[in-house]
This record gives sequence, C-alpha cells and structure tokens, in this order.
Amino acid sequence: MWYEIFKFELGYRIKRPETYLFFGFLLLFSMVGVDFIFQGVEMGLMKKNAPLVIAKTMGAITGIFMIMVSMIMGVPVLRDFQYDTEALLFVNPLTKRDYLVGRFLGSFISLLFIFSGLLWGMMIGSQMPWHTAGELLPFNAFAYIQAFTVVVVPTLFFGSCVFFVTGMLSKKLLVVYTQGIVLFVLFLLTKAITNEYLQGILDPFSLTTLTQYSKDWTIAERNSLGITLQGILLVNKLFWVGIGGLVLFFGYRKFSFSVLAKKPKRTTKSTKQGVANSEGQPIALPKISLHHSFSAHCIQLYELSKFYTLSLLKETSFWAIVGCGMVIILINSVSLGTVFGVDSYPETHFIIAELQEMSMYFFIIILLFYSGELMWKERAVQQHVLSDATPIPGLVPITGKWIALITIYMVLMLSLIVTGILFQSASGYYKFELEVYFSGFFIEILPFLMVYTFLAFFFQSISKNKFIGIFLTLIFFIVNMGTEYLGFTHSLYKFGGKTLGIYSEMNGYGHFLKPYVWIKLYWMAFGVILLILSSLFMQKGTEISLWKRLQTIKSQLTKPIAYAVLSVSLIFMVLGSYIFYNMNVLNPYWTASQKQTFRANYEKTLKPFEYLPQPKITDIDLLIELYPETRSYEVKGTYRLENTTAEVMQEIHIQKWIAAHLELGDVVFDMAVTENRAYSKFGYTVYTLQRPLQPKASITMKFTQQSYPKGFEDTDSDIRFVHNGTFFNNEILPTLGYNRRYELNEETERAIFALGSRRKKAKIDDANERVNARSGGDADGINLEMTIGTSGDQTAITSGKLVGRWTKNNRNYFTYKTNEPIVNFYSVVSAVYDVKKDGWQPASGIVQAVDLEVYYHKSHDYNVDRMIAAMKQSLSYFSTHFSPYPYQQLRIMEFPRYREFAQSFPGAIPFSEALGFVLDIDDDTDVDMAFFITAHEVAHQWFGMQIESANVQGQHFILETLSQYAALMVLKANYSEEKVRQFLALQKEIYDDKRKKATSEPSLALVTNEDFVYYNKGAIAMYKLQQLIGEEQVNKALQNFISDWRSHTGTIKATTDRYATSRDLLQYFRDVTPEDLQDALHEWFETNAEIKE
Amino acid sequence: MKLVIDNVSKTYDNGVKALQNVSLEIPKGMFGLLGPNGAGKSTLMRTIATLQDADNGSIMLNNISVRDNKQAVRKILGYLPQQFGVYPKMSAEVLLQHLAVLKGLTKKNERNDMVNALLHKTNLYDVRKQNLGGFSGGMKQRFGIAQALLNNPRLLIVDEPTAGLDPKERNRFYNLLSEIAENTIVIFSTHIVDDIKELCTQMAIMNKGKVVLTGNPLQLMEKLHGRVYQKTIERRALDAYKKQYTVINDKLFLGKPIIHIVSDTVPNDGFVPIDASLEDVYFTQINP
Repeated sequence: MWYEIFKFELGYRIKRPETYLFFGFLLLFSMVGVDFIFQGVEMGLMKKNAPLVIAKTMGAITGIFMIMVSMIMGVPVLRDFQYDTEALLFVNPLTKRDYLVGRFLGSFISLLFIFSGLLWGMMIGSQMPWHTAGELLPFNAFAYIQAFTVVVVPTLFFGSCVFFVTGMLSKKLLVVYTQGIVLFVLFLLTKAITNEYLQGILDPFSLTTLTQYSKDWTIAERNSLGITLQGILLVNKLFWVGIGGLVLFFGYRKFSFSVLAKKPKRTTKSTKQGVANSEGQPIALPKISLHHSFSAHCIQLYELSKFYTLSLLKETSFWAIVGCGMVIILINSVSLGTVFGVDSYPETHFIIAELQEMSMYFFIIILLFYSGELMWKERAVQQHVLSDATPIPGLVPITGKWIALITIYMVLMLSLIVTGILFQSASGYYKFELEVYFSGFFIEILPFLMVYTFLAFFFQSISKNKFIGIFLTLIFFIVNMGTEYLGFTHSLYKFGGKTLGIYSEMNGYGHFLKPYVWIKLYWMAFGVILLILSSLFMQKGTEISLWKRLQTIKSQLTKPIAYAVLSVSLIFMVLGSYIFYNMNVLNPYWTASQKQTFRANYEKTLKPFEYLPQPKITDIDLLIELYPETRSYEVKGTYRLENTTAEVMQEIHIQKWIAAHLELGDVVFDMAVTENRAYSKFGYTVYTLQRPLQPKASITMKFTQQSYPKGFEDTDSDIRFVHNGTFFNNEILPTLGYNRRYELNEETERAIFALGSRRKKAKIDDANERVNARSGGDADGINLEMTIGTSGDQTAITSGKLVGRWTKNNRNYFTYKTNEPIVNFYSVVSAVYDVKKDGWQPASGIVQAVDLEVYYHKSHDYNVDRMIAAMKQSLSYFSTHFSPYPYQQLRIMEFPRYREFAQSFPGAIPFSEALGFVLDIDDDTDVDMAFFITAHEVAHQWFGMQIESANVQGQHFILETLSQYAALMVLKANYSEEKVRQFLALQKEIYDDKRKKATSEPSLALVTNEDFVYYNKGAIAMYKLQQLIGEEQVNKALQNFISDWRSHTGTIKATTDRYATSRDLLQYFRDVTPEDLQDALHEWFETNAEIKE
Repeated sequence: MKLVIDNVSKTYDNGVKALQNVSLEIPKGMFGLLGPNGAGKSTLMRTIATLQDADNGSIMLNNISVRDNKQAVRKILGYLPQQFGVYPKMSAEVLLQHLAVLKGLTKKNERNDMVNALLHKTNLYDVRKQNLGGFSGGMKQRFGIAQALLNNPRLLIVDEPTAGLDPKERNRFYNLLSEIAENTIVIFSTHIVDDIKELCTQMAIMNKGKVVLTGNPLQLMEKLHGRVYQKTIERRALDAYKKQYTVINDKLFLGKPIIHIVSDTVPNDGFVPIDASLEDVYFTQINP
C-alpha cells in the first residue's frame, strides 16, 4: 500500500511545474556556484574544482536553498489537509505507516532529483569558458559525486525530516516557509561557539566542519584529497542525520489521522446558537449609503491597510521571526567594530550596522513570502468569490496590502531598535542616538524594501501561483545582483539603485544622501507603475489564464487609472532625466571598460617617459581655499624645481591629477617655455624650456588648481572632499613626469590590452627605482609653506609649525611652515574638531620640546588620553634610542571612516574614525591597541620621515617592520609581558591564517605587498631578534642605520642619490649579531621559513 | 429593472460547453433557475456576477453591459456563490465589516448598524465573535447570506443557498428572500424543485448548458395537466416500462418503484392519472 502512496506522490511531483523550476534554477545557479560562493576569497593555489572547494560550494548552496527543501518536504501532508482530501484518505484501508512512508519517500526522491541540479550544474559550470586553465584541475566526475553524497545528501535528509514533521504537525503553510529561518538561526548560533570542534559538529551545512576537516592539509592535499566520511565530518553528519531520524520518529509517534482531521475547536458559546436572538422578530435592515468616490476609496484604503496589517500581525510566524531576529542580534552584537582583537564601544552606528546586516535575511524572507501570502490571501481560502464581486477598484486592496507589508517591516524594525537599545543598556552604554537608529532603518533599508515589495507584488500578480511568484522574485534578486559583475551598474537601470554606504559620525551620510534619495524616488515611481500594472494583471474572479486576464485590461483601464499611469510615468521619466542629467551630463559617466581603456592607453602612450630625468621639487608654497559646504577648493601654488642631475634638462613634464571637474590652469614658469598639449587627454603636458636647465639650476613654476563638483555622481564620488572631515594628500597636486598610479593593476585586465604583467615592486637592485623613495616621489626633501582657508567652524591642519591664524569673511585661515626639509608627502585635513593639547619635554637638553595635539570628533574622546600617552612614551623611547625627533609638533587628526587606516606625515598623523577612537579597551583582557597604533604611527616619524627606503623589494621591511618593532618596544616598556605575549599571539594568528591562503610568501628582505609578512611576521621576527641579541643591540644597529642613511644628511646618504634597502639594514643587524647566531638572522629575515613565536 | 441575457455561450478550456446560446429575460422578483448538477447554472450566475466573461453574447442590466461595466454592476450586486471560503481565524463580525468596506459602506456607524442587523437576521449574532473556522456548514451558509445582503443589493444572485440549512433555517431564509424580492431581481438556483414552487414567480430550467424551458411555474404545470399518470411496479419490470412509455420519473415508495409517465392518450395497464407537479415538469425536460 505504501508503494501506491509513494507512486502517487512521485506522480504529483512529476506533474508540478515547481519541480522543474527548482531543478533548473539550481542547475543554473550551480554553474556559477563556485564563483559566487568563493567571490572575494583568496583561493591561492587551491584550484576552483578541488574536491574541497566543490564540497564547500555544495554545502553552502544547499544551505542557501534549504527553503526549497522546506517547500517540497513541508507540504505533502499539509496538502491533504488543505484540500480537504483527508476525509477520503480515512475511508481507504490505509495505515499510518504506509501513508507517511509513502509520502516521505516520494517527496524525498523528488527532492533528490531537484538537488541533482546542483551536481550537474557544478559539473557543467567547471567546463564553462570563463575559467582560465590555471584555475582548474583535470575534470573528475567522481569528486563531484563524492562531495554530493557525503555533504549534500545527509543535509537534505536532515532538512527533509525536520521540515516534513513540522509541516505535518503544524499544518500551516507559513510555518513551512519560515522554518528555513529557524535553521538559519541555528547556523548563526553555531558561529558564536568558541570551541572550534564543537562548532564544526554543530554546523548543519558542514561548512566550518569542512574547514576543520581539512585544516592540516597542505596545498597539494587540498587539491587532490577527496571528501570522505571520516573524522569530524563523520561525527557532524552522524549527529545531524541522527537528529533528523529522531525528529522523524517523534513526528511519526505524534501523528495520527485524527490529528489530520481535527478541525479547530469550537467554543462552547456555540451551544446557544439558533435559539436566542431575534427569532421571529423581523428586523428591518437599516438604511445605508454606498460610496464609491475618491474619498471613499481613501477610507477603504485605510480600513484595508489596517485589516491586512492586523492579519499579518496575528501570524505566529511573524513573531517567531521577530524573536529570532532579537536573539541573533543579542548574540552577534557581542563583538562590534573589532580592530586587532579589541572591540569598540557599542555606539549606535555599530549596532545599527550589525542590525542591518543580520536582519536583511529576515526582511527578505518576509518580503518574499508575505508578499505571496498577501497577494494570494483571498484565493488561498477561496474567499475571492466574495470579494471579487465587490465594486472596489483593484488598486485599492493591492495598495492596502502593500501598506500592510511596509507596516510589518516597520514593526520588525522597531523591535530591532528596541533590541539594540536593550543591548546598549546591558553593556552600560547610554548614548542612544535614536536618529541614527531611525535613519539606519528608515532611510537605508526601508526604501529598498518598498521598491522590492512593489516588484514582488508584480511577480505575484502575473504568476499562476504563489510559489512561482516567489521564485520569479528570487531569481530577479539574484539576476539583478549578478548583472553587477557583468558591468551593469548604472543606477538608472539597476533595479532599486544602490545602497547608501557608510555612516560616519563625523560626516553623517554626507553628500551621498542626495543622489541616494533621488534614485530611490525614481524607483519608487517605477514601483507605483508596477503596482498599478499588478492591479490590472492580478487574477480576478474565476478567470485564471494570464492571456484572458490581459484581454480584460482594456475594460479595466478606466480614466482615473489611465491618468494615474500616465502621470506616474511622467514623474518617473522626469526623475530619470534629472538623474541622468546629473550622472551622465554634469558628470562624466565612465563604464568599467572605458576606465580600463583609458588606463591602458595612458600606459601605452606615456610609459616611455617613465624614467625621463626630471627636476626635483625643493620648495612648495600653497594657498588652499577649502569650501567644505560645496566640497570645492581652489589652490594657488608655487613649486621651486631644481635640476639635481648632472645633465641639462630640456623638458618639464607635468601630470595633472585626473578627476572630474578638476582644472589645472595658469601653469607659468619664470622662463619662456613652449607648451605641447598632445597628451592633454591624459592631463599630461610637456613644457619645453627655451633655455635648458643646467645642473644645480632652479626654475619656479606657478599654477592654479580648482575643483567645483557639479550635481551628483553615480559611483566613485570623491571621499577626500566632504562636508566634515576633508582629508587629502599632495597626490592631488601636479606631479612631475609619468605616473604609475594610472596603470592598470589587474593582470587579467592587462592581458586584455596586451600589456605585460606589472611588477608589484621593482627588484631590489633596480637602478631606476633605488633612487626613488616612493613611486613618483618628485623630491628629495622639500620646504613647505601652506596657507589653508576653510569654513568658519572647521580647523584645517597640515604638517609644519602653525605660524599664522586669522579669520576673514567668517572663514578660518591657518598658515603652516616647516623649519627643516620634509619628505614630499603631506596631507591636509579640515573638520569641526575638539582638541586636546599637551606637551612632551625631553629628558636631555639636546632635543627640543614638542607640542602634542589630538584633534578629534566631539564625542570620540574615549581614547585620546591613551593616544597622548603613546605619543609621549614613543617620543621618549625613540629619541633616546634611535635619533632626535626633528619637529616641534606632533598632531593626530581624526578623519571619517570611509578609509580605515592611520598614516604618518611629517609631524602629523591622520587617524581614521574607524581605527582607535572608539575602541572599548578593557585593560584586563585587551591589548591597548589605541596605544599601539599610535606608537606605530609615531615610529613612522623615524622610519618613513627620517629614513626613507628605496622603492624596491623590502621597502616595507624597513618602513613597516621597523615601526612594528619600535611600537612593540614602547608597548613592552609600558605594559606587562602578558600583554606583549597576547599581542604577539594575535600577530601569529593573522600570519598563519593569511599565509595559508597566499599564493606566495617572500622573505622579509624581499617583501613586496604582503602585509602579513611585513606587519605580522615582521613583528614576531623583530621581537625574537631582540630576545636573541638583546634590545640594546638592536637599537644600536638602528641608531647606526639612521645616522648613516638619514635622508639627505646621513653620512652615507649624503654621498649617494640612492636610498637604503633591506640589504643595507640587514648588514647593521649582522654587525651586532654574534657569529654563532647569524644563521637565525638569515632564517628569519632572508627565507620564508615559517616563523615560530 | 430588468436583466436581459442574450445568446450567451461559454466553453471552458477543457472543452466543456457550459453555456450554449442562453437567452433569458429576468424581471424584478424571484427568478428560479432549476437544473441538474452540471447544467451550467453556476457558470451563468458567475457570469452575471462579473466573476467571469462569456465567450459571446451579452448580458444587459438596464441597458448596462455587464461585461464592459463590471464596476457598475458590482455596486448593486449581492452574490452568494455555491462554494466559498472564509478566513478561518477571523470572526464573522470582522469579516462582514471587511466585506462591507469592500462594498463601499465607508461610513462607520452605518456599517456597524448593517452588520449587526444582518447578524441578527441570519441568527449569527451570538456567535459573531467566534472564528469562522469553527462554523458548521449551515452557519457558514448563513454568513454567506449575510454578506450578500450587506449593500442592499438590487440584483441578488444566490447559488444553491439552502444547501446545508435545516428546514427551519431554510424557511427563515425564504422569508428573507421574498421580503427582499419586492424591489430586487433575485436569481436563485437550486436543484430542489420544491424550493422554486414555493418562491418563484418566474423560472427557467437548464440542462447541459441550455435553457430548455422558461415560464411561470403554475402555468408550466397547467400545460402538463391531464397527461401524467402514475403506477407502482415491480423493480425488475422497470426496464420494460421504460421501453414502452415515456417514463419521466421513478422513485421508491415503501421500497417499491413508483413511475410517472407522460402520455397524450390514456394508458391502461393499471396507470392512475395524477395532477402534474413541478417535479414532473422538470423531469419531462431533463429525462425526455
């Protein structure tokens, strides 16, 4: 008998369109599965079709599409209940066992068929032409089948058991939909488990399990070993299959046919029915008035919105989602804004970012399923035969449903906000910024949901049933995201537009808000059109074929509807034109390929000039007027250029900073020149001097530069010039000669334009680059004088001593001047600041006193004292052990979190809002990272400002590793040994993690851009060195190194035009290292052998 | 006020010809639509109730085309379908309020009065707070009646309204209907012949998508007068009688078949002349 039921179930599935829809969808999705799941993940030497990669991709895709499992497995029993066929079933001589076994197996086999799409899709995907040969191993079908059997099938079984039983016992379709969420919550909860092994066991999709499973594998093993059921994977699979079996057993016991048949209970009141009221007394029906005017429709809309909202609020599934959401937030908010292992204060913007990220899944689930639920609300219970015969225009109920769903989002948002506030209070943080909460949800998320709700309604209206509608919406979601990778990014055709981006406490949403609002209005108008169309396409009455419905549109298209469509379309087009005018007319809109072509042409045309001898800048005089309100500026500048070579120079090549609306004008030399503008499309001008520039001779160049942004851009809006927190450096000013920064970087892109591969760093003995301290350094030390004007509430800061300060026309002006040459690398910041001032008095009289200043955003005062302490301690240590500090001031300036770094310029350290200002440092458990980062940046005042290093391999060994060492010594002097060990352990962890994923690992001496080598390994290696030979010895070596190579005045540097390299540095270390320890030195610094802590 | 159905046909996608050239004129008052299951009654009523369109032909209500001007018809329409669903977790009162809003009762106090009055009329007042999911078939049917009357319809279409009602409820309902029918077109479908006889001044019999007879029930019975005979027979002889006579009806009485035949001449053979009932009229049309 069970076989009959089984056959029936299979037959049912074979006839259903969803079966093929799901299968096809999985097939297509899996074809890009690896690229999708592993996007942005550094694969290193691991191949895209390595068994491990296949298994992880399969696990992840199965996880994402658990919802399909729910849709197939949750409904078989429910279906009998829904369509009232249960009564027929009881009559049959059917046992519970036959019934359940048949239904379960039939559905499970169908499910396996559907998910085989994953298997075939991934196999086909590996043969697709977009892979390059080097990324793949030879095709091996067995690897796919093995991963599918080991990873996917048990997960499906577990999901099937759980979903089958919940669907059967709850008999509610909405439960079937939402149980996917519960599993997701479960998955997220496992992420919070700190015990790795336990986390591996409890991951239902086996992703962490696979990571654990393969953690000791070498690269070769990762590419070859199959995924078999053993070790942690076996335990994981047994655990989940076991749970599935238990649930199934429990469900089997709990289920009985009478459960299926049981109707909701009748209340006892009904005993009275039929006797009491009004028997025999004729009640005249009251007089009523019917209204079909516009104002009546408004009342109807209000009543219907209320009606649908209340009906959604009655759904237990909704409150389950709210509950899950709150729990997840509480768990996940434990670590916020973590920087090097230290968490930040639970400031509202962190909480809201966390809430947004975690809740997105819930919102999308609500959007997908509740839109289906609402649109099919009448039809699902056959109530439409009543409501469709009423005279209400179709647009009114559908609008009411839309409003109801939006209200539901808002209820969820409010409950999440309450959770956030609870979390903050629980952490003892009471600065609830309600406006940040509200803007975070109601400005950043709600418009997106509104626009997509219009879309989901539209897809539901043209679909034959709810499932197809949900799937069309889901496919659209994915396609809309996917086209982004194909270069379809313009907000005018990218449905819904883009996200708002980062919220900075300094700058709020800044100038990003305006285009965002316009774009959202534009898509809202489009959404309204969709809504009207939906009301026309929607199934009405008993006519269900789409074609027949389309035929009735003409009669439904009443004048008001037609006018509405026309006027909204007009608004849509006007908004679109306005946006187009801003993005594509006022501002140049460049597609990705146009940008690439430009860069490629730049390189092809101008590369021959790369090492053309050019004069060096020796003096810079600038007058900068900043207008933060409009994000514009004007610069009047003077460069003094000197021929430092031994040959005469005929030409001066000036490269303008390439940016929209930037104008470089009035370039005037104090000598007659002829101008060659052949390369003007690259902003590159060649000036031929009428009298050649003799060696040692100088020439003065004056210029003006200005930038007035117009309208708004689609992407690439400048983050340097903002309303509050302007931060730029001298890269935006004219440079000399060819500029490598415009070259294409990506190897694949370079290949398209037939450009050879680009070296990340020149070889250590590259003669051309050994004389450069940085790419396009243009100078060997400059004198800088700068006057900056900014708005009346802002302070502008750059390097040098503040020699003048005044106010004119309600604008603040500051003049800074350096007392000694600095490297040609300086920045300007301007913002509304609070300032903390202090001073550092040197112990010995040789060194001068230093003014210390920290400029910070008013509420970010948490760690200012730690920074001041770090500045003082660092100055003391470094000036005692390395060399004197050359300036009379040291400033830290906070800038908005669009960029997350701190950077040293002569006497000035711009420091990101995201980095140290809001860290919640617990001195018992945390390393004082605000202190360490500050010390590291202060160290750059030596390694970077005093010692410059040749722009070749190993450059960052000198600049970054030595700064790490210096900061570590300051940390060691001020904190316990335990903190130092904790810091080193973190370095080791990051190093291990990153080197495993890296394609290659150079030695410190030849390091290029591998930050895990020069930061993390470097810190460990230097710490070991000072343990080995003593801190004194290391410091002595560095002291000698600085005194010999100090820029321009060092005893060796003064005799050569090249800069120091890692080879020079290592020689100083060797000199202080005993003969028998030289091997260790070699191993740590000149090989890539793994370093032990 | 007059509903004119002219030459309406409807064929479903599966090939079933639900309506074939149906023409009817329905005046104010009760109009009965009689016919076996599958005769096309519900299709015709759904078409009048604007839920679906006919393939061809027209339905005009006071010179308004139902097909092209659905909203105008819906404003005065009350419709009780043969089968309908309700939200199980909602009370009768709330759902009536909801449907009243849809029908344009936007004044809150009028709406409340109307809903209350109808709850009394249909004897649901005591259970108005109870979830509809817990309603019995009869209660649900009464709810259906209440919702059909919310907007004081001028055109009331009730499809098999008495199914599931007990005799007492049925009588209440008939009283209500005839009260309303004084200035309303009431179209009333059933396959129970007695219902029509009790209520309707005009009727039509439908079979296999066609209107086979229209008229006043009494006049129709008059036409058969003197031509109907009855006889109690043995069960096994039934086939033989069917061959010999125009047997329009056979039913059991005390376990033995009684057959009715139509005959212009007086049959002997033990047949007794009887008065023609509406049922006989019906069966002459359905079982010719």
